[in-house]
Amino acid sequence: MIEVRNLSKHYGARRAVNNISFTVHEGEIVGFLGPNGAGKTTTLRILTCFMPATSGSATIGGHDVLTESMKVRAIVGYLPESVPLYPEMRVREYLNFRGKLRGLDRAARAAAIARVTERCWLRDVIDRPIGQLSKGYRQRVGLADTLLHNPKVLVLDEPTIGLDPTQIRETRSLIRELAEQHTVILSSHILPEVEATCQRLIIIHEGRLVASGTPDELRQRITTETNLIAELRGPEVDVAGALRRLPGVTDVRSSSQDGWTRVSVATQRDLREDVFRLAAEKHWPLRELRREVATLEDFFVKIVTGTLEQRA
Amino acid sequence: MRNICAIMQRELLSLFCSPIGYIVIAGFLLITGVSVLWTGSFSPGKPATLREVFFWTPWVLTVIVPAISMRAIAEEYRSGTIESLMTAPVSDVQLVLGKYLASLIFYVIMLAPTLVYLVLMRIYGNPDMGASLAAYLGLLLVGMMFLAFGLFASSLTSNQVVAWILGWVPLLLFACLAFFVVGLVHGWVRAVFQQVNVIGRFDEFSRGLITTDGVLFFLVGTALFLFLAVKVVESRRWR
Repeated sequence: MIEVRNLSKHYGARRAVNNISFTVHEGEIVGFLGPNGAGKTTTLRILTCFMPATSGSATIGGHDVLTESMKVRAIVGYLPESVPLYPEMRVREYLNFRGKLRGLDRAARAAAIARVTERCWLRDVIDRPIGQLSKGYRQRVGLADTLLHNPKVLVLDEPTIGLDPTQIRETRSLIRELAEQHTVILSSHILPEVEATCQRLIIIHEGRLVASGTPDELRQRITTETNLIAELRGPEVDVAGALRRLPGVTDVRSSSQDGWTRVSVATQRDLREDVFRLAAEKHWPLRELRREVATLEDFFVKIVTGTLEQRA
Repeated sequence: MRNICAIMQRELLSLFCSPIGYIVIAGFLLITGVSVLWTGSFSPGKPATLREVFFWTPWVLTVIVPAISMRAIAEEYRSGTIESLMTAPVSDVQLVLGKYLASLIFYVIMLAPTLVYLVLMRIYGNPDMGASLAAYLGLLLVGMMFLAFGLFASSLTSNQVVAWILGWVPLLLFACLAFFVVGLVHGWVRAVFQQVNVIGRFDEFSRGLITTDGVLFFLVGTALFLFLAVKVVESRRWR
């Protein structure tokens, strides 16, 4: 549905987006993740035809964003980060105006406004001036606007920023619902945010694509070296020695207290079963056995602080 | 066309929702009213004509008209709504034309109440209706060109006040001071100033003289500044 090839955007000498390529398939919900200033908004603005790329190309639904801009705009619903609205207009007036720009006739507009009002819980405020609405409601008005013409692709730039926790939950579940009918690409600088809503993540940093994949794939990539924590009742020297002989073990650290030996095993594989068998064989009671999995958060922080080599 | 209409309607709604719209109308009508009194156009024995009032109107318009158009595009930049506008299927030309038509309608609404003076003059005297209507055509044309220029100024900045100043300073300098300069210079410079002498050209209309040259001057000027405004809006994307 969305094809991005070697996309770059320079602002003067600064490279906001540097040679990014990715694909989003129909019906997917993709999270665009990166710290502030990573180039997320710039990329989304290029995709939505707000500004052209310096080099590279992007197509949405088979239409090039530069040469077939109007066709792209017709199938995309875009919610900019700042949720720009006209404060002097009432919600209904605004949606009506946007519906006209989307080429909907009077009957279609009425139906569309009724639909998005229901969808985005706007019924209570539909006749209030936008300037009087809270941030949460404004966000919903913006979202309702993007849904008016039932676009194939939804592009949401930081859709939950500035919302309170309840609103964030509501918005997330709404986005998940929307993904059933639309292809969604949303950006965020908060990892749990995209982890909760998206099937696939694209992580960018300083304009470069550093990683992409499903949350599980990304997790696997960082869990190549895991830690196994076990606590067994047995002599420290024997326990550590036996564990060291297990295949795939790179390092064992141990400590002992009250006859219990606590070990931390660095390994490439999941050794939990082997440790259990060993304990059973040697009659060492086992009271703790767990695998420490690095979180995506760790991964993301490593990328952002620049301690992780680029592996994409 | 639907897009132009939609943008025009929204713009009109905004103009009449903001205090600026009413301040502009009130200011214009107040100044016009004062100049009617000041020129003594209704004094007994004076010729039944509004020419002296009309003489000052373009001067007032240089300041008033950019105030109508100053928010048109600048405010879209400032509030960021340009982003949702330009990612909807709306072309730059449609945006500029919609904004322009809205400000033109507003201008006509602002001008309309001054017809009261003409009606009064018709009741109490016998004004030259032909010349008066020609003067109104002149006001319309002057307004069209000034509005196009104001819109162009508004497209250059995201600050309304800056847009206003960018609008009226050049209008005052080029269009109106030319009226004085034209008598002081000679040769080709004089020819140039004669061409851009808006006050002088408008004066022809208020005398009842409608020339192709005069009408074309204002229409071409309007087209030129609208074209420039479209180009500036387009250029925003390439920065």
